[in-house]
Amino acid sequence: MSSVLRSVKNVTKGYSSVQVKVRNATSNDPWGPTGTDMADIAKITFNSSTDFYEVMDMLDKRLNDKGKNWRHVLKSLKVLDYCLHEGSELVVTWARKNIYIIKTLREFIHIDEDGRDVGASIRASAKELTSLILDEERLRAERANRGSWKSRVTGLEDF
Amino acid sequence: QATRNVDLTKSETDLNTHIKKATSIEETAPKRKHVRACIVYTWDHKSSQSFWNGIKVQPIQADEVQTFKALYTVHKVLQEGHPIALKEAQQHVGWLEGLSRGMMGGMGGEGLRGYAPLIQEYIFYLVSKLKFHREHPEFNGTFEYEEYISLKSINDPNEGYETISELMTLQDQIDSFQKLLFAHFRTGSNNECRISALVPLVQESYGIYKFITSMLRAMHTTLGDDEALSPLRGRYDAQHYRLVRFYYECSNLRYLTSLITIPKLPQDPPNVLVEDENAPALPQ
Repeated sequence: MSSVLRSVKNVTKGYSSVQVKVRNATSNDPWGPTGTDMADIAKITFNSSTDFYEVMDMLDKRLNDKGKNWRHVLKSLKVLDYCLHEGSELVVTWARKNIYIIKTLREFIHIDEDGRDVGASIRASAKELTSLILDEERLRAERANRGSWKSRVTGLEDF
Repeated sequence: QATRNVDLTKSETDLNTHIKKATSIEETAPKRKHVRACIVYTWDHKSSQSFWNGIKVQPIQADEVQTFKALYTVHKVLQEGHPIALKEAQQHVGWLEGLSRGMMGGMGGEGLRGYAPLIQEYIFYLVSKLKFHREHPEFNGTFEYEEYISLKSINDPNEGYETISELMTLQDQIDSFQKLLFAHFRTGSNNECRISALVPLVQESYGIYKFITSMLRAMHTTLGDDEALSPLRGRYDAQHYRLVRFYYECSNLRYLTSLITIPKLPQDPPNVLVEDENAPALPQ
């Protein structure tokens, strides 16, 4: 249902193909983002500056979404994590400059209808990502070596 | 370049809505979403003036819970907001103190729901914190470790001694405030509103602790004057034990432990006299 609604919105709101890509990867569906989605998005960040900003602005919007859309937030953190490693250098600059967006998610709270503390995974991701962005040396090393960080962004199928 | 794409025109109205909701009358923890929006605003605009304007026009003084939540919100903005927030807050110390006077006139004793003493203590703490930051602009809102600060203090041991003493005074004030908060928990309530104020206190006390630990150790190494520093060491040890106790009590509050990581300190204070490989991890 939500994916039908999303494709309608994608058309009526006139989103570009880049924006649609990011919206789909960070949707409310209880699965994803897939590795392919993230790899595609990371690749887009090397394109024109219009494409780059369309990716970042959409991620930014998703990161600041409300509690009910906690999956938007969590998935955007994952996509950002991925892009910090595989995307253009500009992603790193963007993240450093706007680190307060991620830092302030370390206390994200949302309890879902079943009483589950779904904010916990966001708090953990935000914590991890904040320390990564602040640790230039580590980020450099991880950008150079693909294997070491991959486990963090996989395994999203089980929520 | 690479900045966020922020709509600067509509955000002031939004900010006021967030302030209003963060300081609502319900006896709950101030909603993180709204507090976060205030914090993010100060970064986007590199200014906290609209935040202060917004909070001052809220009718928070009419209700003790609202006043308490407003103080928490101010505290969080000072901690996590753009560094300019700490600077600009200096103009509003008078307003904070005025809130305290309003309390004394407006409600006798504890207040209907027992917040009056907590409000007094919170204002007292925030005013001291702001005074410290006024004199030491090199510290950020959560006292996060910066290498250059300890170096600066070693170069001027007198100044270092002063700074450590002042930090220890703040640490003592955090300790009295947290004790007062615990003493005011009410059975039959989830106490979430009161517990929320422990979040910034845990973060700040740990920041101060890490600073003091590395500054004391650095000063001992360079000065080599154990005698002169012994009063500070005595105070450091006493504070260590109090912090261990404080964090232990926090670790029993589920709401708190789900939200933040409570620091784990060794049972006994580390020996600051030596470069100790078993020393607690220095602030990263």
